[in-house]
Amino acid sequence: MLTEPFVKKYLTEHYGDDAFHTLAGYERAGGFEGLKAAFTRKPDEVIDVVKQSGLRGRGGAGFGTGLKWSFMPKTSDRVKVLVCNGDESEPGSFKDRIIMERGPFQILEGLLIAAWATGAGKSYIYVRGEYKLPIERLRKAVAEMYVRGYLGRGVMGKKGFDHDIVVHSGAGAYICGEETGLLESLEGKKGQPRKKPPFPAQSGAFGLPTTVNNIETFAHVPYILARGVPWFRGFGTEKSPGTTIFGVSGHVERPGLFELPLGTPLSEIIQHAGGVRRGHSIKAVIPGGMSMPVLPPSQLDVKMAEEFLSERGTHLGTGGVMVMDDTTCLVRAMCVIGYFFRDESCGQCTQCREGTGWVHKICERIEAGRGRASDMDLLASIPGMMEGQTICAFADAAAWPLQAMLKHFRGEFEDHIVRGGCSFPESFEL
Amino acid sequence: MPRITVDDQQYEVAEGRTVLQALDDVGVLMNGVDIPHYCWHPKLSIDGSCRLCQVEIEGMPKLQIACNTPVKDGMVVRTQSDKVATARKSVMELLLINHPLDCPICDQAGECKLQDYAFDYGVEHARTDMPRRPAKKATELGPTIVFDQERCILCRRCVRFCREVPGTGELGVFDRGDSSLLELFPGSKLDNAYSMNVADICPVGALTTKDFRFKIRVWFLEDQPSVCNQCSTGCNVSAARANNKVYRYVARRNDAVNDTWICDHGRMSYREFAENRLTRARVGGADAAYDHAVNAAGEALRQVRERGGRVVGVATPFASNEDLWVLRKLLAQLGAEPARFAVPRGPADDILIRDEKCPNAAGARRLGFTESSEPVGRADLAIVLGHTTSCVALAGVENVISIDAHGSELTERAQIVLPARTHAEYEGSFTNWKGRAQRFVPLVEPTFEALPMGAALAQIAAAAGLEGWSEPYDPRRVSSELAGQVEAFAKASLAELGDQGVELPS
Amino acid sequence: MKPETRRKIEELYPLYPHKRGALLPAIYLVQEEHGYVSPEAARELAELFALKPVEVWEVLSFYNMFYTEPQGRHHVYVCTNLPCSLRGARTMLKGIEKHLGIHSGETTSDGRVTLGHEECLGSCGTAPMMRVDGRYCENLDLEKALRIVDELE
Repeated sequence: MLTEPFVKKYLTEHYGDDAFHTLAGYERAGGFEGLKAAFTRKPDEVIDVVKQSGLRGRGGAGFGTGLKWSFMPKTSDRVKVLVCNGDESEPGSFKDRIIMERGPFQILEGLLIAAWATGAGKSYIYVRGEYKLPIERLRKAVAEMYVRGYLGRGVMGKKGFDHDIVVHSGAGAYICGEETGLLESLEGKKGQPRKKPPFPAQSGAFGLPTTVNNIETFAHVPYILARGVPWFRGFGTEKSPGTTIFGVSGHVERPGLFELPLGTPLSEIIQHAGGVRRGHSIKAVIPGGMSMPVLPPSQLDVKMAEEFLSERGTHLGTGGVMVMDDTTCLVRAMCVIGYFFRDESCGQCTQCREGTGWVHKICERIEAGRGRASDMDLLASIPGMMEGQTICAFADAAAWPLQAMLKHFRGEFEDHIVRGGCSFPESFEL
Repeated sequence: MPRITVDDQQYEVAEGRTVLQALDDVGVLMNGVDIPHYCWHPKLSIDGSCRLCQVEIEGMPKLQIACNTPVKDGMVVRTQSDKVATARKSVMELLLINHPLDCPICDQAGECKLQDYAFDYGVEHARTDMPRRPAKKATELGPTIVFDQERCILCRRCVRFCREVPGTGELGVFDRGDSSLLELFPGSKLDNAYSMNVADICPVGALTTKDFRFKIRVWFLEDQPSVCNQCSTGCNVSAARANNKVYRYVARRNDAVNDTWICDHGRMSYREFAENRLTRARVGGADAAYDHAVNAAGEALRQVRERGGRVVGVATPFASNEDLWVLRKLLAQLGAEPARFAVPRGPADDILIRDEKCPNAAGARRLGFTESSEPVGRADLAIVLGHTTSCVALAGVENVISIDAHGSELTERAQIVLPARTHAEYEGSFTNWKGRAQRFVPLVEPTFEALPMGAALAQIAAAAGLEGWSEPYDPRRVSSELAGQVEAFAKASLAELGDQGVELPS
Repeated sequence: MKPETRRKIEELYPLYPHKRGALLPAIYLVQEEHGYVSPEAARELAELFALKPVEVWEVLSFYNMFYTEPQGRHHVYVCTNLPCSLRGARTMLKGIEKHLGIHSGETTSDGRVTLGHEECLGSCGTAPMMRVDGRYCENLDLEKALRIVDELE
């Protein structure tokens, strides 16, 4: 089981409590107050509350949750579906895992509140296949809910409010974290993202009206309903209220999870993680999971919320902070990054399939000491060929890291080419 | 009806169509409006993965794929802007990263969409010299198709075709990313009645036919529109000729008949033009000059007529409308009973293959011929077209004059044999099961003496001393006559049929 | 496919509006039997789900955790993505390769261990780490990793 967060606020407050992942333990700690509060309001009002709270999706895109819920058709002669995205595969990101392991009922309560608000009759929690313990915890939690009458016909005794939840395991493919890739996988197919239109709210899982949200997004919802919008907006920033669980990894003294308000400066988060490894200095930091553009040391003052990060040319993503110190060969890092995107591309779109392969191959060649002078311009031209022209945003996610590396650290690549080898003998091995 | 503007030209299009569909509907796609594409096909589901059809749409910041963008009234589309040109260059360059430099040995060269669009929309110089991803080369995918996995650009047309048209779904794409490969289920084959269509729709040389492999370079070929004669569907084909030979059939689009498909059997039937041909006329079992055989036939007919004997006309549903009309006129002039004809039948499906294994049974019916395989009975003379009526049925006939393109048991037994032309060698029309008259044109010239059936009949009639057969045979004149005189063939004159045919009155 | 497995698969159908939603769970059940899915088993799955065999094989080939070839008794997969690599995961993997005498992607000759590498497993704060069958082994160094590997039967 994953170590509890080193810094806690409201979301992870009880993660040290061994019973919190059981129904009894969850209720003892105040669980289901949110759902009960939701029941006192009409469904549309609940959507309004979530809208007013300003809760942004915690899966990487940061889309307004209340707004997304409002896309669900008000009436439908077919069942409406909620999908909870637990496919957490963004490198550097491991926050959803701890919520599933230690706070599964937070997710389930959030789903029920969403179900009440949107009229959804069924939920699927799609969890990446490698997360065996989280799946086990969620399944146990769901089973307990059925026994207690918190799922099935008449949830908590509310006549006419029926809901079912199925925990569904993925099988190892990053692209199944993409909304429509997930839906395809849920339907038993290859996780190849869909063209839009149609959009999931019109035709999603199995062709039914569907809303997809991230694990952590659902987990915040009960607290918003239970404690109110002003309370929630007391955390974080105007445009990005609430907390999130930041993950810090790489060359720090104390890697792990830290629940902090959005807008906390990046340097402060790194400090919570014990700062950079003793005897070293920070060379580069990826702020939001490996898809997000890297930042040089001069940018570590940035506040970790989407509106500030985008001003600096990067994004919050999933808040997965990766710290690279002065030993790191960034060309090697780019090889690791390039390999990842090449391996995980679903392969449909020409630009993504061939572009990710090309980038990786060129980086490998440079790393191996066979780079050519023309490689710099060549590499620099590829992101533009991929961005904004594909079925899903994977190609963008694959293009950004390279773009950022070349923007901030182009010299290192050029040096590698000119020297025909690496200038960082202590760097991690490839 | 929504109105859209594409490159400053306005088009009125149908509701509910995508930009590519709408432009295809009005006939301007790649024919006035250039939107190159790979994965889209007018007769298959929308894929959206090749990304080549990206266009600029006013009001939308990103480029949109024309194949999946529904038309909206007032939509303004630009297909030739710089942004679009750059996007096309990107796609073309990236497609060539893993594509082998096979042009010199690839059958597709000359009709390859990768070559064409690389030339028109791509980059001028390769920026990569890296090895392509390893894949299978020139393997058998099944009895009809050669598969070169390296060349595949993963447009998935073939995958969708097999699932959506024959419904056999043999093909799939395995793995992911740039390891994706087009494949069959382990141990299986691509083996269905429509398999060769995948070679038509494959934009590159990944899927080619065994039949055509290495036969000839396509730039030596000239395509002519024709129709298949193997069943009453009458799939439209493009017949490719060179060196006075037909090298292949490729399916030709006709939305009212066969969409863009043809069954394998029909596609291969061009081979019949060169197989088992009757090349010499015969009289009494011995080779004879054509003229001599015509005269012998005319003389035989004259004699039977004089003594009031029974003449029977036997048609074949492989003859053209015009051939059959000539036969009807001749029999009427002789005061003979209507011609009879037999229809060969076989298995059918609910896709394109029909049970009537001939192209023009409908034509024969419309001319009032009698459908029968019963014995003809005692007769003095039978003029027999083709060999769909059996020897057994003709056992009671004393003198058989056979006019046929191919040898058969019947042509062995006939007293007089006149070689006829196949539908690759003259102009005419067939009527398909739905009453659609479709034209075929001469593709090659036989190297021996042979006539269209109608012309042979006309010569025999003249030789028999009948009135009105002195003019040289002209299929156009005959067809105008037919269209003018028989209600059921109104508007079916060869001059009016065009390349898509005409539906006849019911 | 054992009748037991077939039964378990059929029990999954009602959970999904279309039967095919149960395909991924079904593949896991089949894999529990032999550790991989053979063409014969794939054909059986295709029949159960009214799919063409190639459609099942497409799914098998797409996902990392589905195997179409026999596997070792144990899976040892080391994460080699960036956060783990920064903390020495690849060096550790090389050590395991040397110890077992095989390369990543191969199985020991006695069929005991299949060694491999995987992308981010969601354990970046406890790197380096590896997935051993269904469990995560975290906060490793080469010594700890080898002890775990040696204990596998």
